Amino acid sequence: MAPALFVDTGSPVHRLNPVTKLVALLSILVIVFALPQWWTSAIVVVAILVPAAIVARRARALAGIGGRILLPIVLVLVLVQGFTFPGGRTVVWQWGALSLTAEGLTFALNTGARIVALVLASVLLVVTTHPGDLMSALTEHGLSPKFSYIISSTLQLIPSFRTRADGILLAQQARGLAIPRSPLRRVRVMLPLLGPLVLGMFTDVEERGTAMEARGFGSTVRRTALEAVPDSPGQRLARWLMAALAAAAVVVPLVQELL
Amino acid sequence: MIELADVCYAYPGAERFVLEHADLRVEPGTIAGVVGASGAGKTTLAKILSGFIPHVDGGELSGSVVIAGRDLAGLSLSACVRQVGLVIQNPFNQISGARYTVRGELAFGLENLGTAREEMADRVTQVADLLGITQLLDRSPYELSGGQQQLVAIASMLVLRPPVLVLDEPTSQLDPAGTRMVFGVLSQLRESGCTIVIFEHKLELLHAHADRLHVLAGQRIVASGQPGEVLADPRTDEWGVGATRYTRTGRLARDRGLGPVAVPLPVSFDEAVGFFGGGPR
Ligand SMILES: Nc1ncnc2c1ncn2[C@@H]1O[C@H](COP(=O)(O)OP(=O)(O)OP(=O)(O)O)[C@@H](O)[C@H]1O
Ligand SMILES: [Mg+2]
Repeated sequence: MAPALFVDTGSPVHRLNPVTKLVALLSILVIVFALPQWWTSAIVVVAILVPAAIVARRARALAGIGGRILLPIVLVLVLVQGFTFPGGRTVVWQWGALSLTAEGLTFALNTGARIVALVLASVLLVVTTHPGDLMSALTEHGLSPKFSYIISSTLQLIPSFRTRADGILLAQQARGLAIPRSPLRRVRVMLPLLGPLVLGMFTDVEERGTAMEARGFGSTVRRTALEAVPDSPGQRLARWLMAALAAAAVVVPLVQELL
Repeated sequence: MIELADVCYAYPGAERFVLEHADLRVEPGTIAGVVGASGAGKTTLAKILSGFIPHVDGGELSGSVVIAGRDLAGLSLSACVRQVGLVIQNPFNQISGARYTVRGELAFGLENLGTAREEMADRVTQVADLLGITQLLDRSPYELSGGQQQLVAIASMLVLRPPVLVLDEPTSQLDPAGTRMVFGVLSQLRESGCTIVIFEHKLELLHAHADRLHVLAGQRIVASGQPGEVLADPRTDEWGVGATRYTRTGRLARDRGLGPVAVPLPVSFDEAVGFFGGGPR
């Protein structure tokens, strides 16, 4: 259901070339792992992601979706690392045999901050970029059309297969199949329905293949695109700069260590 | 011109032949209707005409399939595809899934063939207008009704302007108005020189629009001729083709000793009027 996450507010962030946003995400990934202190991630979130989400008018979506993904992860991280970190000596709080250590909390903070930055950056990409635009942009940059097709069609077909599963269920119910309330029994009743669903999917794949070929999908000529993906020299430069920054984040600490 | 001679075909691993010694001839710039019962082999024949059999489905194909003077066996699949456009039976499966709007969906084939952007946009607008789906252009192809999907499926093939067009039950999900419109569009295409083979059950519309009608039954084309002649043939029930309501009424009347004896049974409304002697009042 990825398209539902994307809402087009027409903001400048939405209008960026999807590849620029992807390069930004990858650069953030490299930087927060190369510079493991928690404040690297904090700077990324506060100085880049939050302002970008506000400009995109998707701050609420970012907080909502990001929060739902991150809350359980961060909670588990703090509890597990805080109480069981192997190198933990400085006890901050004790409850019976359990002791919360400062070292554990620091580790949780450094790791958690990185996860927060990465998840938020990914969510921001998803909520501001139509998957179709991302795929077209990547195809323009040399991604194989077959690969991009697999991604796009999967994103669109999953909801349609769900509709079909509902249809099969409805057809069975119409013929007197009772759906029990207990989840275990329910699974047992619904298992046989997988047959028609999977079988349907296989014949579909074959027919789909035929239909795709009939529209020249196998052709070897140079493809064109109906819609131009917006790009600019400024963005091209920005992409190189971000990549350089990421490379520097990896190389500079290494050199410092050697010296 | 399309010329099938002595075509036999069995799906891989199947014991029975779907087609045995089938012959079919379609003149350029005409509409050929093909009728046949469920399971008679219509879809199979459609795939043979468009090169998907044997290029994709495999199996045992013998005989010759010649389109515009070239034997499909000697062409690659992508060459076949440029020669013959195929609209498959299930419109849902014709939708690529690669594009998120009907507009993108219609352009998809043109993109694959490397058409210039401006021409692509023009053709998409044109074909959408032709099939009355302009208001759907910005919608997701997956959020359409079955009939709307069918129109998009037909449009996505018409936009490629293939010299030969093969349609496998293209109006199965359309309402009567939509069906008539599609037949009207096909007649228009014929005027521009396109050769059309349509597999259909709607006999009255075939009678009105097809230049010739062919009957697929018992693994072969058992009858070919003017739609009126073929549909008035007494063997239509035996072929599993059925008859129009006018023919059925005429036959019932004749069985009860009504109506003229020497003239053929009526197929259309106009013929029925003549048959039952409805002169000026
Ligand atoms: N992939 C396949 N493998 C084996 N046999 C097949 C395959 N597809 C179809 N057949 C068989 O070939 C015969 C003709 O099928 P086909 O789909 O061409 O019929 P049809 O006239 O299009 O029927 P309908 O009107 O239901 O669409 C049938 O007996 C069918 O069982
Ligand atoms: Mg069929």
